Amino acid sequence: MFPAAAELNILTGPMFYSSLPLWLTLLPMLAGIGIYLLKDHWENARKACSLAVSFLVLIGVTALFPYSLEGAVKYDLIDFMQMGLFFEVDLVGWVFSFLIALVWFLATLFSFAYMDLEHKRRRYYSFLIFTLGATLGVVMAGDFFTLFLFFELMTISSFVLVIHEQDMESMKAGVLYLYLGIFGGLALLFAIMMLFSATGSVDIVPSFELLGGQRIAIFIFFLIGFGIKAGIVPLHIWLPEAHPVAPSPASALLSGIMIKTGAYGILRVSINLFAPTDGLTVPAGDFMFILGNAVMWIGIVTMLAGATMALLQTNMKRILAYSSVSQMGYIITGVGCATFLSLEGGMGYTGAIYHVINHAFFKAGLFMMVGTIYIYTHELELPRLGGMFKKMPLVGVTFLVAAFGIAGIPGFNGFPSKTLVHDAMLIAIKDYGFLSVVVAEKIFVLTSALTICYFIKLFRGVFLGPVPEKIDKDYKLPFSVNAVLSTFALIIIAIGLFPNQILERILVPAAERLGYEGYAMDHLYHFNFFEWMPLEAMLIVIVLAIVIYVPAAYRGWFDWKPPWWLSVHAIIYRPFTYRLLDFTCRAGVLVDSSVDSAYDRSGKAARTWCNYVGNVDSGLDRFYEKSSKAARKLADKSTDMDSKLDQFYEKSGEAARKMADRSTDMDSALNKAYEKTGKAAKKLADQTSDAERKLDGVYDQAGKKAREQVERRFSEKKDKKGRFDPKKWSTKNLSFDTLLLVLVLGIVLLVIFYFGRSL
Amino acid sequence: MGESTVIAILITIVGFPIIMTPVIMYSCRISDKLRNILVIITSAIAFGLSLSLYPFVIGGGEIQFTLFEVLPNLEISLRLDLLSFCLAILASFIWFLCAIYSLDYMAKEHACGRYYPVFIFTLGSCQGIFFAGDLFSLFVFFELMSLIAYILVIHEETEEALKAGYKYLVMTIIGGLALFFGMIIIFEIGGTVSLGVGVIVQENSLLAFIAFICFLIGFGMKAGMFPLHVWLPDAHPVAPSPASALLSGIMLKTGAYGLIRVIFHVFSPELMQSGGWDTVMGVLAVITILLGSAVALTQSDIKRRLAYSSISQLGYVLLGLSILNENAIIGAVFHIFSHAFMKSVLFLAAGAIIWNTGKRQIADLQGIGRQMPITLGCFSIAAFAMIGIPPLNGFLSKWTLALGALDANMAIYVFVLLVSSLLNALYYLPIIIPGYFEMPGGGGAGHGHEHDQEEHHEIKFDIKEAAPLMLAVMIVLALCTFIFGLTPNNVAFNLSRLTAEYLLMGGF
Repeated sequence: MFPAAAELNILTGPMFYSSLPLWLTLLPMLAGIGIYLLKDHWENARKACSLAVSFLVLIGVTALFPYSLEGAVKYDLIDFMQMGLFFEVDLVGWVFSFLIALVWFLATLFSFAYMDLEHKRRRYYSFLIFTLGATLGVVMAGDFFTLFLFFELMTISSFVLVIHEQDMESMKAGVLYLYLGIFGGLALLFAIMMLFSATGSVDIVPSFELLGGQRIAIFIFFLIGFGIKAGIVPLHIWLPEAHPVAPSPASALLSGIMIKTGAYGILRVSINLFAPTDGLTVPAGDFMFILGNAVMWIGIVTMLAGATMALLQTNMKRILAYSSVSQMGYIITGVGCATFLSLEGGMGYTGAIYHVINHAFFKAGLFMMVGTIYIYTHELELPRLGGMFKKMPLVGVTFLVAAFGIAGIPGFNGFPSKTLVHDAMLIAIKDYGFLSVVVAEKIFVLTSALTICYFIKLFRGVFLGPVPEKIDKDYKLPFSVNAVLSTFALIIIAIGLFPNQILERILVPAAERLGYEGYAMDHLYHFNFFEWMPLEAMLIVIVLAIVIYVPAAYRGWFDWKPPWWLSVHAIIYRPFTYRLLDFTCRAGVLVDSSVDSAYDRSGKAARTWCNYVGNVDSGLDRFYEKSSKAARKLADKSTDMDSKLDQFYEKSGEAARKMADRSTDMDSALNKAYEKTGKAAKKLADQTSDAERKLDGVYDQAGKKAREQVERRFSEKKDKKGRFDPKKWSTKNLSFDTLLLVLVLGIVLLVIFYFGRSL
Repeated sequence: MGESTVIAILITIVGFPIIMTPVIMYSCRISDKLRNILVIITSAIAFGLSLSLYPFVIGGGEIQFTLFEVLPNLEISLRLDLLSFCLAILASFIWFLCAIYSLDYMAKEHACGRYYPVFIFTLGSCQGIFFAGDLFSLFVFFELMSLIAYILVIHEETEEALKAGYKYLVMTIIGGLALFFGMIIIFEIGGTVSLGVGVIVQENSLLAFIAFICFLIGFGMKAGMFPLHVWLPDAHPVAPSPASALLSGIMLKTGAYGLIRVIFHVFSPELMQSGGWDTVMGVLAVITILLGSAVALTQSDIKRRLAYSSISQLGYVLLGLSILNENAIIGAVFHIFSHAFMKSVLFLAAGAIIWNTGKRQIADLQGIGRQMPITLGCFSIAAFAMIGIPPLNGFLSKWTLALGALDANMAIYVFVLLVSSLLNALYYLPIIIPGYFEMPGGGGAGHGHEHDQEEHHEIKFDIKEAAPLMLAVMIVLALCTFIFGLTPNNVAFNLSRLTAEYLLMGGF
């Protein structure tokens, strides 16, 4: 525990250790499982059990009040999961717990009449009671880990309530709810993990300085996680789908209570966690200022979008669901104001919590009233309803009361809380005068006017006008329904008439404990709701509402259906979720199959290679075979040639001998001829010696000429030879491998030479 | 407990199932009943003996001894420490339960005379891997198990099974060769492959890195790490369901176990980090996680979806190993436990559904919860654990892993874990939700309103459950996912914590 946090603990008053919070969450969960094990036809046992459990829880929560008022009730169960289970019920936690227990009790009572006309009752009661425990756990949790645990449990168990009808529509809505819930849960888990790694604890204590650079990320993930449950725009898409399809008491709890857990989380994060460890300061740090402003604007956008969408619906439960979105905007706006006003934020803080209380009563009440009409008429569409005021006057009156409450008419409970949030904004304008707050305040007023408009539309559609034939019957409501609806109406009026009771007894002490002071707190101690300023603001709103409603209803603007492409679905979710999912799947499959095919292909390639090597191998084999054959042929041929040569030599030898013989003959003949011619020659010689001398001169001349000629011819011949020979040695005639061989040899020689020299 | 007793027990755990294999094979000829009894007894004895080591191990006992030398410095040796005990107790427990489950499941199957001996033999070799005292023995048992498990994979003997089996075999051999190569390098560097000498490789070198990559391939192949996972989604679904449960629940873990051993006993975490090897593993782990989850989303066969889910879950373990700080190691070891319980339940439940109805396609499983509420209940618990819903054990391991990642300033890893959780939700919930809450669009969308009026009666359960023993096994395992998540003071988590401390202290 950090010293500063410890100091703060002293400020928050004494601690009481009690296991009651644990039992308050555990009892409904165990009872829920128990109820499921009861037999189907034990109708009364089931009802009695459910009612008894919710009543016991209500008593238990009430019993915590004095302790929470003084300090906080704590309980530690260290040996659970990694972080331990830690409960801490301080005043704010108690307010939420009490709301949950009270509304749950009333809803259980209401369920008896409603569910008698429905199916699958065993499952319904079982999960209804189970969810009570989980929801209580969320607001009683002392640290974020425990909170997350119950948050997840609540999401999953309430899923069964959403899909109760199990028709196409409810399944679709339920699946959307569950997926978004799990997504939100994971975002929350991420934020909690980051928080834990930054600060080393998951406690809900001021630790703004400890969060370090990750605080923006932490805050955003917290906001996503809780915002999904709270239905902030644009994370609200599940809400108008899921709330209308559930059975009405469950819708009442979903809209009236469970979305508050989201608001509770945002409240805890932005006010308790994101607070300076050494107490609040004036002016707030830059970061807190921006943060608060952002939260406030998220609230403003949510309230305006919710109200606008509510105006355009014709299904009465959808109107209420969108109205819930819009009202959550008020609460978050209050939280935002409190965050950025820091020390002066008391007004926004109390306003937000006050509105949580009020909204729980009127919205749960409204859903049950609408549910009463639905269960008897089986109609939800405004055009097919009408004139129910005559048929069910009590429902009509209570509805009117609740509608006045939500519209903020003075004397009903919405008025004080809206006034507080509005005043917080006025303080902000006064202190800072920023344009953003001024604009936000204008939108706030506009939204309040729109709220009145859609309730006029709803009331007119359901209760006024002629009664359609199909539903023109006499309805007799059971006592329990009347009692529950009247209770809601009475609570709404009671808070509206005595708004200071809750404010001074609970909310102001809660705000004090956080260290709020300054003008806002001074003002809060003796806040008079029935003086001119708040009434004037309300009057403006009512006048504005009439100015909007009359022409709009006259021209039928409320029947305008926004086109599909304008919806959040089309703008944000479809591109993100579907494409992202599609992309993920495709990328995954692509990578996976490509890896797979890479293996396949490499296997195939390896086989091809093996085949190739095999081919080369057999080719070599064949080559050897062929070459050996060729060699044999060659050998055969050379043998032939050898013998032929042999023969040739022999023949040529014989011929030579013959020739020799003949030449001997010729020799002797010639001898004789020579002898004869010798004699004649001697004669002739004698005779010719004279002529010879004469001829000598002639021959000399002729000889000279002949030599000249011969020389000329010889030189010509030499020329021809010189031109012929080099041609024979050109590369054209050389086989290439010889050249290569020579080249290589040359290079080798060169290398040898070179290295030899260097050595 | 004396050391000699422990040694005797170790030898029995490894040797007994292997010896019993021929006995069981022979007993098939005598009677099926005898065979079943022998199988149960053998696996029960293996489990009981493993359990009996608990006091010794928890008291800090550690044993390493040589059985015999094969070559100089290359021996068959056994080792018992916290890590091997963790996996051995887990393996023998799941094996025991799967053996019980098999009795009914396999009664409808053919070739039981082949199935059971192989089933028991793999138990022995698997325990051998966990109790191996050096890389060589580890390698021997690893190969034994991998090759014998082939018979489990191809049990159906369909064309698909044979093809998957072929792929499995080829990958196994590749992995085995890589392991062998890595082992040789380690032997070359350090002169020993014993796991009992602390860190063998002291300093970073290219050769050491190659050895690491070889081990990563060899063990990562078994653990289904990207890109060596291709055999897994084919091989796991075709095996009979109890075998799939073992393949996914335990045999995958031998890969993770080998990696832990290599990281802490051959190399050291400091070496891993100084060489940047942890980054290699981290990247591969992230890809494995995301890929497994994304592809699981597209599968229509329930067992194939589970197999892909196994890939992504083993990625968590690898991720924990790549982060290498205390929380991450606790998370990784604990996730080995968690995943073994979760995935066994899932495979066994899927098997029970297939056994009972013959439906494998997820689209056909609408309203199965009415018919088999307990089976689907167990399935849902395990699936929620997979998604990471507290207080189930999957959440605890994810939380611990995430803390480890954050301790190492790796918020991106946490993000990956959460994205994967979301994807888990996206692929498990479409099995569960229509299983319990039948969507009318599937059957007859035409008679909407009349149908409503009719259905105002209570839910009709047309119960036709799986055999009681199968249910009992699934319930026990599902309870385990719950018990081991509820409090961090459970056996599994304590063991993981002790193991992580032991490993980070340098293995001694």
